[in-house]
Amino acid sequence: MLSDLFFRLRALFRRGTMESELEDELRFHSERQLEKYLKAGLSRGEALRRFRMEFGGIEQVREDCRDARSVSLVETMAQDLRYGWRTLLKSPGFAAAALFTLALGIGANTAIFSVVYGILLRPLPFRDASHLVLLNETTPRVGDVSVSYPNFQDWRSQSHSFAEMAAVNPVKFNMAGSNQPENIGGLAVSPNFLPMMGMRPVMGRGFTPDEEKAGAAPVVLLSYALWQSRFGADRSAIGQMIRLDSQTVTIVGVLPQDFRWVEKCDVMEPMGVWATHNDSATNRADRVDGLVLGRLAAGVRMEQARAEMETLAAGLARAYPEANDQFGVNLRALREAFSGDVRPAMLVLLGAAIFVLLVACANVANLFLMRGAGRAKEMALRIAIGASRGRIVRQILTESFLVALLGGVAGVCLAIAGIPAIARLIPPDTLAGANVGMNGAVLLFSAAVVVLSMFVFGLAPALHATSGDVQLELKEGGKTTSAGARNRLRGLLATSEVALALVLLVGAGLMMKSLYRLLAVDSGFRSEHVLKLEMDLRTSQYDKDPAVIAFWQQTLDRVRALPGVESAAVGTAIPLTDNHNRTDITVEGMPLPKPGSFPHPDIHIVSPDYEKTLEIRLLRGRGFRHADQENVPRVAMVNATLAQRLFPGTDPIGKRFSFGNEPARATWMTIVGVLADTKMYGLANPARLEVYVPFRQAASNGMVLLVKSGQEPTALVSAIRGIVASIDQEQPIFRIATMQEVVNASVSTRRITLILLGLFSGLALMLAAIGIYGVISYSVAQREREIGIRMALGARRGDVLRLVLAQGGKISVAGIVIGTTASIGLTRLMMKLLYSVSPIDPATFTAAAFVLALIAMVACYIPARRTLGVDPLIALRHE
Amino acid sequence: MNDRVELPQGTLDLLILRTLALEPQHGWGISERVEQMSSDVLCIQQGSLYPALHRLERRGWIKANWGTSDNNRRAKYYHLTRSGRQRLATEKDSWQKLTAAVAQVLGPA
Repeated sequence: MLSDLFFRLRALFRRGTMESELEDELRFHSERQLEKYLKAGLSRGEALRRFRMEFGGIEQVREDCRDARSVSLVETMAQDLRYGWRTLLKSPGFAAAALFTLALGIGANTAIFSVVYGILLRPLPFRDASHLVLLNETTPRVGDVSVSYPNFQDWRSQSHSFAEMAAVNPVKFNMAGSNQPENIGGLAVSPNFLPMMGMRPVMGRGFTPDEEKAGAAPVVLLSYALWQSRFGADRSAIGQMIRLDSQTVTIVGVLPQDFRWVEKCDVMEPMGVWATHNDSATNRADRVDGLVLGRLAAGVRMEQARAEMETLAAGLARAYPEANDQFGVNLRALREAFSGDVRPAMLVLLGAAIFVLLVACANVANLFLMRGAGRAKEMALRIAIGASRGRIVRQILTESFLVALLGGVAGVCLAIAGIPAIARLIPPDTLAGANVGMNGAVLLFSAAVVVLSMFVFGLAPALHATSGDVQLELKEGGKTTSAGARNRLRGLLATSEVALALVLLVGAGLMMKSLYRLLAVDSGFRSEHVLKLEMDLRTSQYDKDPAVIAFWQQTLDRVRALPGVESAAVGTAIPLTDNHNRTDITVEGMPLPKPGSFPHPDIHIVSPDYEKTLEIRLLRGRGFRHADQENVPRVAMVNATLAQRLFPGTDPIGKRFSFGNEPARATWMTIVGVLADTKMYGLANPARLEVYVPFRQAASNGMVLLVKSGQEPTALVSAIRGIVASIDQEQPIFRIATMQEVVNASVSTRRITLILLGLFSGLALMLAAIGIYGVISYSVAQREREIGIRMALGARRGDVLRLVLAQGGKISVAGIVIGTTASIGLTRLMMKLLYSVSPIDPATFTAAAFVLALIAMVACYIPARRTLGVDPLIALRHE
Repeated sequence: MNDRVELPQGTLDLLILRTLALEPQHGWGISERVEQMSSDVLCIQQGSLYPALHRLERRGWIKANWGTSDNNRRAKYYHLTRSGRQRLATEKDSWQKLTAAVAQVLGPA
């Protein structure tokens, strides 16, 4: 092994010496052999001839010796590269076309992959992240819900599938100070949370086990970003106090820079601090916001853990039916929680990008074949003078490699420019937990794509170039022999381009139809000219309901008085979001079901004019009035679904219900109105049960202010800021957006998927058209003589035109048939992205085929028309 | 001429190693020697000898030195290395097994 290496190295570095030694060795042989023949009485001429016959081609022997030393691999590669470079420079048009095509294909793949990698593949920056599992509770009435804190404590003490468990509760704070008050997000965690993930504060300390108990002194860890922006990365921040809500809190440390969570995390507090002022810490029926992070014990699989947790949950449901009846547990890998809902879209787009690359490769292969036709004679000549076919294949592959490499470099540059645009595909929440961009893994992927595409587009032309009959090629200049096979191959390539383009076109068409249908869905409200601003009253002055109600009332009164404001309202939830309070209700006089089977609607606390501002239709009764106040009988509105479900066939107006599931402690509310269903949870989701109550009868600290204006609603922002600041200087306003933006954001993944799919299919369409165009125009050029003869014999121009068009027609029809068949199989994979469109929607399929056929026809017709200009005399004389 | 046999694939290496087992030799000498030893029945395409020699040298089974030939000219002499000797033994063994087996299959003519 070592001697082998040494030999190769010597051969490589002392190439000159080795060459001259080989020369000497062969000369010695030939001299001795000639001497021998001369001695045997041959004439000098005869001896030479005999020697050549017995020895073989001397150049061939030299080459074989170099091969045997196998350094030649490196040498010939360098030679091939130089030669390839020169040939590329000699045909800049070809080189530019090939490079451009490949750059697009490779760029698309690199850009999409960088996002896929960042969101779906990149290992999370936690210790053994694959063993981390996120747990939440479920109930058939609503699906996934948060975890009750007492339940978490029981899970932790009873389960064996998990080495560790930690509770994670998202919390919000108003942070006063500096210039503008801010609302920040944070996490309240069990003290073992960070060690369990294998993370440590970069500065200061983590949390101690004591800090899990209620009554713990208020402390926080700052996120690295907040530490930088707010404290200028000053180490002395540790030990300082900051004010969160009304509380003074001590900073004990700074989180590592690469810590991230599913939601934005600016600060982290120990669970004990949260438990101090949250009744939910002891109330088992409360499922506020918390999730549970678990680390699977060694050797335990997800299914085993799931089975154990289900048993555990069933036990808890029996032990505490009031709180736990009908509640189960759901487990998912932490990775999945981080990637959110974008996985199907990402995979579809990656598939589409690969299709584009295949089309690009087919096109470049076609270019190579076209050029191969011009070089057939050169190749034949090289084979004739002793180059092995393998050597020629290598030469052509090297040229392909050069093209692929340069295309790859250009593609990566394109991708770097395109990544930010594609990253918008990802909802900001998901993106915050990911790390998307150019990195080693992505570059490795691009390199693999480069090598792969080199083989895809290089091998066929390379093998083809050496398959011809040398003698015939030389004799006839490569016009007749392999040209037939080459044309067949090119036709095949063009056919596959058409098929691939059709699949992409169908995919884009289905997405387009879905989005169109989705946006045409009756959302139940109107988003035009409505502005939303969120506020959360968190300081101690709002501990009492009257203060809260007064704040909202005062804000509403003054905002309504602003010029241009048509109406304004506050509400706890706005359509197209998915963060709602829910509770059991008891309808007066209904037979009492089991604890887990009470109706469980969403509860929206709203002000008068809520339905007017969002233009939600009032189906029956009345909306809330100013008179629906603290000291008058309690009232409520319900949505159409609830009215239908709980009061089928009767008028719900005047009926009474109460929150909770204990009629004995009921506070009855009278239904005064029925509102139309709104798409509260996304346009694609069905309506749920909803209850509206007036904000003066059920104060809420967190509200969304909705303002409808006659003109551009964002013009009102600064005026509204001024009003709020004049009421409470330290009250932050956050997540300001128009409702139009909310609607758009709710379909943004679909929209951007559609845009990219459209872009890809357009690209594929263009490349396929170029492919067909190339095939036809080349065959027209080749058949000029034949056409000349036909016309000389009396064929009309129309006949000739038809002859050429038929060839293009065959290619497109075959491509469309294959593409349609493939689409039927493939569109099923994008089922999750579609909305009320069948994956084999006939209209979409027909339209895609029609568009493709049309474009193929144009691509054929342009070169075919050239036959009309063929002058039989000139075409014949040309030979 | 018609009685001469084309060399089966892969046997050239064996013949070279066998020849060099006798004494160090240059390329031309090896080709002469093989012809002699096989009573002129085996015909080596002389050109193919050199790639084979270079290949064997790369594998470390033979080594080359420049020396002076019997007619006083500079020539490249190859000799067997120790691993070359082992290689010869195993190749010879498997060759004999092969020929014996083939002979047995063909049976007495």
